[in-house]
This record gives sequence, C-alpha cells and structure tokens, in this order.
Amino acid sequence: MKRNSRVLASVLALSLSVTTLAACSSNNNGNNSAPSGTSSAGTSEAKDTITALLPPVSPTYQDNFEQMAKDFNALYPNLTLKIEPASWEDMTQKLDTQVNAGSPPDIAFIGSEGISKYVQQGMVMDITDAATPEMIGDFDAAPLEYMKNGNGIYGFPAYMEAHALGGNKAFLEQAGIDYKDVQKNGWTYDQFREAIKKGVVKDGSKTSRYGFVFATAGVASKDYLNILVKNAGMPSPFTTDLKYAYTSNNYLEVLKDVRQLIDDGSMPKELSSVDAGKRWNMFLTGQTMITGKGLATFENSANKNNAKIEANDGSAVQGSIKAEYIVLPVPSFLGKDPVTTVAVDGYVTFRGKKEPTAEHKANVVKAAYYLASGKVAATTNNDLFVAHITKTGKEAAASMIVNRNPDNVAAVQVMLSHAAPARPDIPVELGAKAIKLEDEVIIPKLQALIAGEITPQAMYDAVKKAAISTFGEDGVVKE
Amino acid sequence: MMQATKTIKKRKVKGDAGWGYTFIAVALVIFALFTAYPVASAFIISFQEYKPLGSTFIGFDNYVETLSDSLFWKSIRTTIVYTILTVPVALFLSFAVAILILPLKKWMQTTFKAVFYLPAVASGVALSVVWLWIFDPMPSGILNKLIGTVGADNQNWLGSSSTAMLSLVLMAWLSSHGTSIIIYLAALLGIDNSYYEAADLDGATFLQKLRYIVVPCLKPTTLFLLVTGVIGSFQVFQNAFLMTGGGPDNATTMVGLLIFNNAFKYFEFGKAAAQSLILALLIAGVALVQFKFLGKEVEY
Repeated sequence: MKRNSRVLASVLALSLSVTTLAACSSNNNGNNSAPSGTSSAGTSEAKDTITALLPPVSPTYQDNFEQMAKDFNALYPNLTLKIEPASWEDMTQKLDTQVNAGSPPDIAFIGSEGISKYVQQGMVMDITDAATPEMIGDFDAAPLEYMKNGNGIYGFPAYMEAHALGGNKAFLEQAGIDYKDVQKNGWTYDQFREAIKKGVVKDGSKTSRYGFVFATAGVASKDYLNILVKNAGMPSPFTTDLKYAYTSNNYLEVLKDVRQLIDDGSMPKELSSVDAGKRWNMFLTGQTMITGKGLATFENSANKNNAKIEANDGSAVQGSIKAEYIVLPVPSFLGKDPVTTVAVDGYVTFRGKKEPTAEHKANVVKAAYYLASGKVAATTNNDLFVAHITKTGKEAAASMIVNRNPDNVAAVQVMLSHAAPARPDIPVELGAKAIKLEDEVIIPKLQALIAGEITPQAMYDAVKKAAISTFGEDGVVKE
Repeated sequence: MMQATKTIKKRKVKGDAGWGYTFIAVALVIFALFTAYPVASAFIISFQEYKPLGSTFIGFDNYVETLSDSLFWKSIRTTIVYTILTVPVALFLSFAVAILILPLKKWMQTTFKAVFYLPAVASGVALSVVWLWIFDPMPSGILNKLIGTVGADNQNWLGSSSTAMLSLVLMAWLSSHGTSIIIYLAALLGIDNSYYEAADLDGATFLQKLRYIVVPCLKPTTLFLLVTGVIGSFQVFQNAFLMTGGGPDNATTMVGLLIFNNAFKYFEFGKAAAQSLILALLIAGVALVQFKFLGKEVEY
C-alpha cells in the first residue's frame, strides 16, 4: 500500500513537471511557426498560413473574422489567414511580448507611431519589394506615408482619422457660436477662448456645465498638448533639419494658454484626472459644451445613445441627454496655420528571428492588403465613420448607407486637407529619445501644470533642460 | 546478521533520499524555470543592449546610466515613503482586527476571515476601478461628496501631487490585509492559555496582557510580516500603474513602475534588468537590517 502511494505520488510529481515543461515547449512551437516563412515549398502556390493579431477596430470588426478568413481563402485557396483576436487593452502587451520573444504575428493592427519602436528592434518587415504597384496605387498618398520609416514601408494603412473636437449642437447654438463657419474656416485661440467662456453655466457658485473638457489622464495624457502644439507652428517634435522643436518660445505660449483656459473657469480645475471615459460621460450628460479629443466614431456613439433615450432604453448612459455631435477643428495659435493631428492606424507587417522567404513575404503582403482595402476596409471604416483611403474601399462603400451629418463629413475633409505630414525621415533613435522625454518629463510636468502646481515657465524650463540634456545644445530649436 | 541489518538500513536511506528528491522535483523544476533562470538571465541582460535579433554586450553602461538617472533615485525615494507610510499601519490594522476577531465564536471568526480575505482573491484591476470611482475628482465623486459634508473643498485626489500619494496610501490601508489577519490569528491561537490564566490571577488588565503576553509572543510573526510586507511594498507596481500612471509630475512613480516602463514601454530590457538587480540588492539590504535589529529577541 505504502509502495503504491509512493509510486502514485511520483507519477503525479513527474506529470506536473512534464506538464510545466510541455506548456513552455508548446508555447514556443506555436510562436516560432507563425512569422518566419511557413511556406512548405518554394512556389507561390504552395500552402502557407498568415497570422494576424487584431483588436476590435470597430464595434462589429471582430464579429466578421470568420467571414474575413473564409473570403481570403476563397481569393487565395493556398493561403490560410489565421486571426488572433485581442482586446485594445491587451493588444500592445501581447504584441510586445511576442516581438521580444522573437516570434510576432505576421500582421498586427497598430498605430503608425508604433512602427519606429519595432524598426529599432529590427522586427518589422519592409514590404517595399513585395507590394505591387497596383496595391500601392490603391492608397491615398498621405496615409501611406505614415506607414514608412526611412526608406521602408512596413504595412498598409487602414484609415487616417482627424483628431478634432466635438461640440453639443444645442449648447453651441445657445452660446451663439456659428459652428458651421468654424467648421469651414477654423478659429483662432482667442476666438475659441471667448466661445468656451460663453458655454459655461453656473449653478450658484458651482459650475454645472463647462465650456471645454479635454481628457488628459490615462492613455489620453499625451494627446492634449500634442494636438495643440501642432497648431502653433510645431507640426512635429522635430523640425525639418531634425532639431527638437519643443524648446521654441511658441511652446511656452501654448503652455500659458493651457493654463489660461482653466484659470478662466472654462475648463475644470480637476482636468488632470479626467480620462477619456469621464469626459465622454461629461459630454453625454451635458456637463460640457465641447469635448476633446473628438473622433469621428463619437458621432455614431452619440447617435446610438440618442436613440436609446428616445426609446426609453435603460442602457442609455445614466443621466445623459440627447446630444447632436458636431465636429469642430482645433484652434490655431500665434497666427500660425492650422495643422490637423491625424491618427493613421493600419496593418503592420512583422518578421520573426528567421529571415522570411520571398514567398511568405508576398503572402503576408496579400493578406495585409486584403484587410486594408476593398470590402473589409469599406465595412470597417463605415462602422467607424472615418473617411475611406483606398480606391477599392471607396468603390465598395458606394453602395453602403451611413447615417452621418453631412456638415461633419465636410468638416473632416477640411481638416484632412491640412493634416500633419508624416515624418519617415526622423531616425528611430531620435524618435525613441523624444518619446522617452515626452513620457518622463512632458506628461508629468503637464499634469502638474494643469493641476496648478507649477507655472508654464517652470514646465517650459524643465522641458528645455531635459531636451538639451538629451539632444545637446545644437540639437534643439533656439528662438 | 549485523551485516544484513546494515545493508537494509543503507538501502532504505538511499531509497528514502531518492523518494525525497522525487517529491521535491516539482518545486525544484518550477523554482529553476521561473526563478533561478530568470534571475540569471536578468543578470546577463543587465550587461547588454537587448534586442530579439541579437543583443550587444555593453559592460556596466546600464548600471552607470541607472545610477546617474535622477528619476530612478526619485522613484526609490517615493517607494521608501510609500513603504514607511503603508507597512507599519497595515501591520497595526491587521493586528488590531485579529485581536478583535479572536474572542468571537468559531463561525464568526471564519466569516470575518473570509470577509477580510476577499480583496486578496479579487482582481487588482477590479479593485482599482472601484477606487477610481471613489477618488473621482469631480464634486459628484464619492470621497469628494463625503468631505463635502464637513464643508471641505473638492479635491483632485489622484491628479494633484499633494494628494496622489496619500490616495494610494489610503487605498493600501483599507485593502488587502486578509493574509496578515489570518497569519496573526493563527499565531494568537498558538499562545498557550496558561499565560492568560496566570495574568488573570495577577489581576492584569487587557492592555497589560497585550503588552506583556501577546506582543512578545507574536514577535516572530510580526517580524515575518514586516519583512515580507517591506519586500512587497518595494515591489509595488499595480496601484501606481492603474491609478495614477506614476503622475502627477512623477509623484507616484514607484521603482517597480519605472522598471516596467523601461522594459515594456521603451524596450530597454538591459536597463530594466540592471534596475531590477539594484532593487533586489536594496531589498536584501533592508531585510538584513530588519533581521539584525529586530530579530535579536525573536525566538522561534
């Protein structure tokens, strides 16, 4: 009996050990097989599997994965598109873990600003020689530029979305703001400042509605200042001669304006803790006239909530009111031309530790193009209310009906006409340094500025000091 | 006969050792895979500029850069402040709750243990969502409403340097004492009743019994909880990451968060590994000091 127990315990112990090892082993196998050329033969008709890590790009995007994979297989019978879904929260961590293990998916949907980080790691795949002229010619030039770094192209863009502001139509009209004129002709900082002052509603000593609320906490922390400074003569952190731009005096002026809007009482003094979810809730519940950053999909979201309120649906946002969403441009500063911040997200192509074969590379490009163009792009972009950036996407979308305010569509087109140009010329090392400076100095100091703990001058001095220490005296703008 | 007995004994010893090794194999394999190997790996990586396609050896650069980085030292200071503010209070609260639970009936003890242990099994993310709700900066926020009842001004709890650390400390004070409470209760139940009976005969008060019986008898437990508490606090990451992101103005950037950012945000694994090893040395140093000064009178 005793002997039997010992044998049983040993078997259990060994099983556990083996299970642990087997788990690690199977993980590795799974990862290794994905990226590095799984073509079984040297011909382009050989069977191949392309893996893609995709987040919920639009509300219905992940519901269509099975159909997307089937349609792709129908188009290329020798190819299998294996899609791994991920949540937005998991996406970066999942991808980074796979990249650093040397076994990323072939394709991942990420923001184009993330490309430089992976170029530095050497883990993205340049598709310049594998993308056909027909594929390249299908895309609008501006968004495609965002997928470049140096001389390489690292995937295809899905959309180019303007980072705008969003207003409540009824409140804008109450405040006497000619929003249609603003949509067409833009506005200056002074005009904007006066407008949002008019949007403030007081209930005794307390503010029941602010003129403007921008999310500055959490993932949105870097958006606010980035969006504003682009309209103050600094369309990129680097000038065309690759000097760091945020040491310019214009930067200081924008910081003063950031503080001024809070001191006016047009923005809440608790702004540094307002995250993206909170400010959207404030917009829907009528606690602010204008919100930022505004994405095109917010119009869809507001429309859906309005429908729920009309239908007395209990799932409408608690305390929300009907709000017609109006797209507004970001004001321009110091007499500079407006420059729209755009988000270009897309299907970035990765490689594993092994050099991918030419056949596999061509197959990955086919899959990336399939996802970024035609019917898939048309459906996704319509779902998101964003403009189509491929000819095939526009054709496919022609027969689809989208319930969008035409004034908003026109306003977005105006904004996209002066979109910030891509900067593939910025070396990855320089870009990485700027990102670190932003994370370790600019964002923390901005939080302190918004909370009223430091002055604009103190923040500017801190940024300038860090910039000189990072890029050297000659590596920064002096004016 | 004598010879035969010896041989059987020898075989038995050999056999027992074999079984022993078999039984600890699982723990050994897990330790080797998930502790020893990563530590050795981190040590090697700390001398490299890590890249998936081939790392470069850069000597002590990561250490030099870390030791000259003002943000690293600020994060160490912040972590020490957090530890000093949280660990002693957490120990006191756990001890007090354990003392309050001790005289209760067994079923009530079990109920309270379960209630206090619940946050330990709840997801940290879920807890953070609740706390974010409590610390809502607008006047409609729970804590702001609460302080509003006594006429205090609205506070930007997580967004102001003066209250962000306090908010994280408050969160630590009011959650996750379950494990300490259970350990303290087990230790309290281990104190022999004869001590209390003798004290009762001498007419000792509750506080006298606490001071002269309970506290000395619980010294080993307190030392254990203090050392593990300090180690855990030095490694704290989740609260700052989920609640403040290290802000404002890096007022809540703990060293664990800084290491995470270097590794997973900037892909500077070499620097992150160097910082982790410096942190490990620091923790080992603090633990040694604790054992040296507080462990003297502890009898096991």
